[in-house]
Amino acid sequence: MKHWFLALPGPMAVKVVIAVLVALVALVVLFFVYDWIGTNLLDTGGTIG
Amino acid sequence: MDDAPAPPVEESAPSSRGTVTRVIRAIGWTSIVAGVLILGFVVQQLFVTSWFAEQHQEALGEEATEHFATAEISEEVYVSPAPTDGTGGSGTIVDGAGGSTNDDGVPTGEPRSILVESAPELGSAFAVIRIPTIESLQEGWAVVEGVRVGDLKNGAGHMPHTPMPGMPGNSVISGHRTTYGAPFHDVDTLNPGDRIEVETAVGINTYEVRELIIVRPTELWVTEPRDGAWLTLTTCHPKFSSRRRLIVFAELVDGPNYKAIYA
Repeated sequence: MKHWFLALPGPMAVKVVIAVLVALVALVVLFFVYDWIGTNLLDTGGTIG
Repeated sequence: MDDAPAPPVEESAPSSRGTVTRVIRAIGWTSIVAGVLILGFVVQQLFVTSWFAEQHQEALGEEATEHFATAEISEEVYVSPAPTDGTGGSGTIVDGAGGSTNDDGVPTGEPRSILVESAPELGSAFAVIRIPTIESLQEGWAVVEGVRVGDLKNGAGHMPHTPMPGMPGNSVISGHRTTYGAPFHDVDTLNPGDRIEVETAVGINTYEVRELIIVRPTELWVTEPRDGAWLTLTTCHPKFSSRRRLIVFAELVDGPNYKAIYA
């Protein structure tokens, strides 16, 4: 993790901003993946047909 | 002085120890990441989706209240199936004066007047469902028109093309069992005779539970029309699985159209 962080381009401030942005995008993607799994496999809402 | 050469250093032992350490570390990190991802999934499904649903419910409750005040309600003629026709349909709503036969030429009962509200738009809240014996539904849960994935994330959903609650036939409402506020989490605790209220623009319709059954998700017959006025609730079963459906059949016992439908 530290190695990946240090490999980011730019000075330390830029590295931090990039890391935060990447983490946010990853969280949003993860949210949609969770949502898809939940509504398709766990609880579809009980619809018939 | 002893100038004897030092014994050769064995390189293989530390190297293999380092490989083992790396493998153990990788397994450890993989387990931690997998654990965090699974925990995140549980938190997202149980708490985050419900939090969003509750936020939506506040807005939808207001939308339903506004709908009650502004919906267009008209009086239409309802012709019930003949009393001798035990297997007849759910009756016929006709414009203008009623006739003495339905579409199939089957003799029918006396034409009566029932209140009909205009069909709501897909995704909009038009009703509130209350179940006094289920604590989470005592205050009511907004019902939206439609059973698309997005509709059911907001509230319970009324299946389009089935009658509106309080109308003759079989009105079908679906809802989540474990996520998105889980409005139907405890419907398995209902017993025959328990009451279900559905408030619409026409008024409060009271149903009485008749039967609970478990079916496959493809068993469309549960949504088919029935004699009289029925409410069918559908939800996932068992909890945390979409393998089966829990179905609650309830019959209208009171409401603005009750006398016209059952007289």
